[in-house]
This record gives sequence, structure tokens and C-alpha cells, in this order.
Amino acid sequence: MTLKKIFEEHPERRYIMFGGKGGLGKTTFSAATAYWLAQQGKKVLVFSVDPQASLSDIFQKDIFGKGPVKIMDNLWAQEIDADQHIKAYQNEIRQKILDMYGFESVPDEIEQYIQAASAEPAMEESAIFDAVVDIVVGGEYDYYIYDLVPLGHALYYLSMAKVYDEWINKITKLREEMREYEEMVSRLKREKETEEDQILTELQYIRTRINASSSILTDKEKTGFFFVIIPEEMILIDTAKAAELFAKFDVPIMGYVVNRVVPRELLQQNIPAYLKNRIEMQDKYLGQIKTTFGQQVAAHVPELERDVTGLDMIRQLAEIMYGK
Amino acid sequence: MSEEEKKSFWQNMKEILYGMASHDMSRYALRTRASMEHLFILITMGDMIGIPILPPYYSLRLLPYVVPQISTWKRRLLREKDVSDAMF
Repeated sequence: MTLKKIFEEHPERRYIMFGGKGGLGKTTFSAATAYWLAQQGKKVLVFSVDPQASLSDIFQKDIFGKGPVKIMDNLWAQEIDADQHIKAYQNEIRQKILDMYGFESVPDEIEQYIQAASAEPAMEESAIFDAVVDIVVGGEYDYYIYDLVPLGHALYYLSMAKVYDEWINKITKLREEMREYEEMVSRLKREKETEEDQILTELQYIRTRINASSSILTDKEKTGFFFVIIPEEMILIDTAKAAELFAKFDVPIMGYVVNRVVPRELLQQNIPAYLKNRIEMQDKYLGQIKTTFGQQVAAHVPELERDVTGLDMIRQLAEIMYGK
Repeated sequence: MSEEEKKSFWQNMKEILYGMASHDMSRYALRTRASMEHLFILITMGDMIGIPILPPYYSLRLLPYVVPQISTWKRRLLREKDVSDAMF
């Protein structure tokens, strides 16, 4: 099955992700896929949440934290600045406190908490995935290409989302019980209706956000996840492990893209032993890839002469991946 | 007895009845409600007193609603037990 065919057969899969270990070509493939889809007349947004994002580099345009930036017809790119997102969020919370209680400034201990909370490592992941919900829920684009953070983070988030969900369930229950007591008291005192519990409303909102963000990764109908691999032992072992974990979280895997394959044609030329050895090594692991992933291998991409930056190189890569 | 007096008589009766029958119940309910409130804040804002329960991104959303309770909550949670616990 070729990449092109996969996209043609599953037009409903609109959230496309390339995942894999760092440095294997996730961003490159995301950009090339976005380019190809845009050329097919689809409106595409390719976005990245990586703090060391490289979409700016590949498109040779500074887009970090600037919202969706138009690259060419039908193609937009966006790099989310997590820090900026967290800061805006903190200010929103501060403003809410000031508005609710008419304070001049946020009380010290509350302010300390707001700052300490933002220093937590999980803050960034949550902020990132929350920002992604905003982007995807907008629904303005035909395709969302998600230049994923390295695998670990995504898995971490998925498991976090599960725990969060249970946590929310528990506190929602507690909150509902509290509400019953409140109602009881007001009945006993023959007071009028109790006020609506805003915390309960907030909890329900939080739950929908968490579910929305994890469902973007796990939606069987709309999500397509590609693993990027290279024919080397360590990568294959790690990817197999990750694939197993992803399957546990119901992430729909669409295929594997093999990158950095040294062109076989070189063997007909007089090449140094160094290169010959590399080809032999790759042959061994390409064989392994074939037996392990079989039909799921969607494309082999050769090691190119130079790095992929700029639209011209992206176009060349798109032609290799999807045909002319 | 004028209309006015009649009204306040019934009002008093009502309050006496409430005091006899349900005041204790509602006091108890309010106390339970308060304990739950504190438990709730502990679960969501535990970090504040050094008990990290879960990543705080979404806890922050709840923060504005519990601002007035924070100081009583801290006092209650961090104080040592004494006789008055049984009384109030």
C-alpha cells in the first residue's frame, strides 16, 4: 500500500501524525505531506508543539508563536509557543480572581501558587495539548498535520489524560455530594433555590477538554498515525515497543515510513567499503522491517543528497513519497 | 390581635419549630459540607501545602472559585488537634 493510496482510501482521516524517535524525519515528512495535500487542493494546517520546533527551519520562515502563517496556497503552518500559552493562561486566571472578588491585586499566597504551579513539568504538556484542542476544534482546515513531539511525550500525555479523567470523575462525584448537602440545608431552612455550582460547571468543561485532546490522538475514524523509522536495530526495537504501547491506548496506526534508505543503485558503482557495509547493514534491517511490519510499510524514502529545507526540497521529497 | 402581631406570632412559631426540629440537622449538614469543601480543595490544590496530587494545569481553572476558602482551609489542615475539634 502506498502513501498516496492510503490517503485516497481514507479521506475521512483528517488528523495526520508522524511520530517516532527524535531526528528521524517527522517534521520533514509532515511538511512534505502537507505540501502534497495542499497541491491536491486541500486546505492544510501543519502544526508543531515542540519547543524546539523545526517547522520554522524547514519552511525558512519564522513562525514561532505567531499563529497560523500562510506558506503557500492552501498551506498554513503554525508553531505553538507553550510558554506564551501558559503565560496567557495564568493571566486569565489572575484576571478572573480580580474580577470575581474585586481585589486590587492577587493575594500573595494565591500568586505564589499560580507561579509554582506553572513550574511543574507536566504543565507544559497539558498546556500544549490544550492548545491543540483549540486548533483542531476550530475545524477550518481539511487536514491537520500534527508534527508530534517525540513519542515519550505523547504517551505520557495519553496516560495522563486517563488518570485525569478518573480524577475528574471522582471530584465531580464529591462535588455532587457537596451539592446535595447544600440543598438539604436550604430545604431545612426553607430558603429559595441554591446557586448554581460554578465549580461543577468548570469540572465538566475540564472533562470535555481532556477527552477532546486525547480523542484527537485516538479517534479511530479521523486520526491516522504514521511511525517514522530507519533501518537500524535500536530504532526498530524502540519503535516496536512504542507501537505496542500506542496500541494499548487505541492510537490508530496507519503505517510505517522508512527513512534514510541508502539507494541500492550505488552498488553498481565502484563504492568504498564503508558505504557497502552500510548498505549491507540496512539490507538486514530492511528484511526485518518487511517481516515485522509487512503490508504496513507505506513508503521507503532514500537518504537524500542534502537536508530538506525550503519549498523546493519539500516538493522533491513530496514527489518521492507520493509520486509526481 | 392585630394582623401584624398574628404574623410575627406565626413567624416565631416557625422559628421555634425550626430550632427544635431541624437546626441541628442543618448545622450538621453544613459541617459535613465544610469538611467536604476542604477535602475538595486538598485534592485540587494540594500543591499549596506541599502535597502534589496531580498536574496543576486544570487545577488552576478551579483556583478562582476557592480563593476565599484557602486561608481557612490551610488553617484547618495544618493546625494541631485540640479540644475545640469536638465542639465545632
